[in-house]
Amino acid sequence: MNDDRVERLLRGYGLPEAPLALDRRVLAQAERILARTRARAAAAGIAREFANALGFGYVSYVVDLVTATDAEYRVDLI
Amino acid sequence: MGGLSSVMESDSSDRRHVDRNRDRGAEAHGEEAAFTELYRDYRTRLHQYALSLVRDREAAEDAVHDAFLGWVRQLSAGKTPRQAAPYLYASVRNRCLDRLRRRPEIALDDAHVELLAAPAGDEERIRLRQALNRLLLALPEEQREVVVLRTWHDMEFAAIAALQGTPVSTAIARYHYALAKLRKELEAHE
Repeated sequence: MNDDRVERLLRGYGLPEAPLALDRRVLAQAERILARTRARAAAAGIAREFANALGFGYVSYVVDLVTATDAEYRVDLI
Repeated sequence: MGGLSSVMESDSSDRRHVDRNRDRGAEAHGEEAAFTELYRDYRTRLHQYALSLVRDREAAEDAVHDAFLGWVRQLSAGKTPRQAAPYLYASVRNRCLDRLRRRPEIALDDAHVELLAAPAGDEERIRLRQALNRLLLALPEEQREVVVLRTWHDMEFAAIAALQGTPVSTAIARYHYALAKLRKELEAHE
């Protein structure tokens, strides 16, 4: 037996399936987080429309200007 | 005229803000689908990677869970990392190493985790699976990591070295040491 054969032997194996409980846990929590994001966006939209109707559209413009952030790459270091 | 154009500009700017919020809502729906796809693409690989690092089912699941939710939080804050794979692998690795710092690695005899799945009908691999699984788990942590990433995750040595924070030559050497060890043990086994 040589190293190539060991390599080929290993590569022929597949990976064990991830548990379904993990799928449920991750997907349910992700859905909750993204639903909160949607709700926040909807509430902000309504508040903005209301402010615009009252003639305070410049306020939301300034808020957008100040809070807009660029996407960035970040890895959480613990 | 200047007044009218400034009103029109303000109107279109207001509409842009409203549209942006509507877009954000639609984006979140799209993000949910994109996240589910991302999760399906990486779940098996990251789960095996975490298992190989911590040799403990529960800790591996927690690491994968936390890494994916970290990604979702970045997404919902509008800060999607540019590339999914480097982020997710680094995130799982950090969480596993943190866990190992807090609690010592589980003893080999108590590590009841499977890193390999033998293809149905492949007698040789079915016969050797248990022994190989144990040999893999018995490898030093950093060698085991290189073998797993190189063999089942198709990762280049440069990417593995970047993940481990070592020179590429070290990653290559670890891989070859591990293969030699596995070969020797397999010969003894057969």
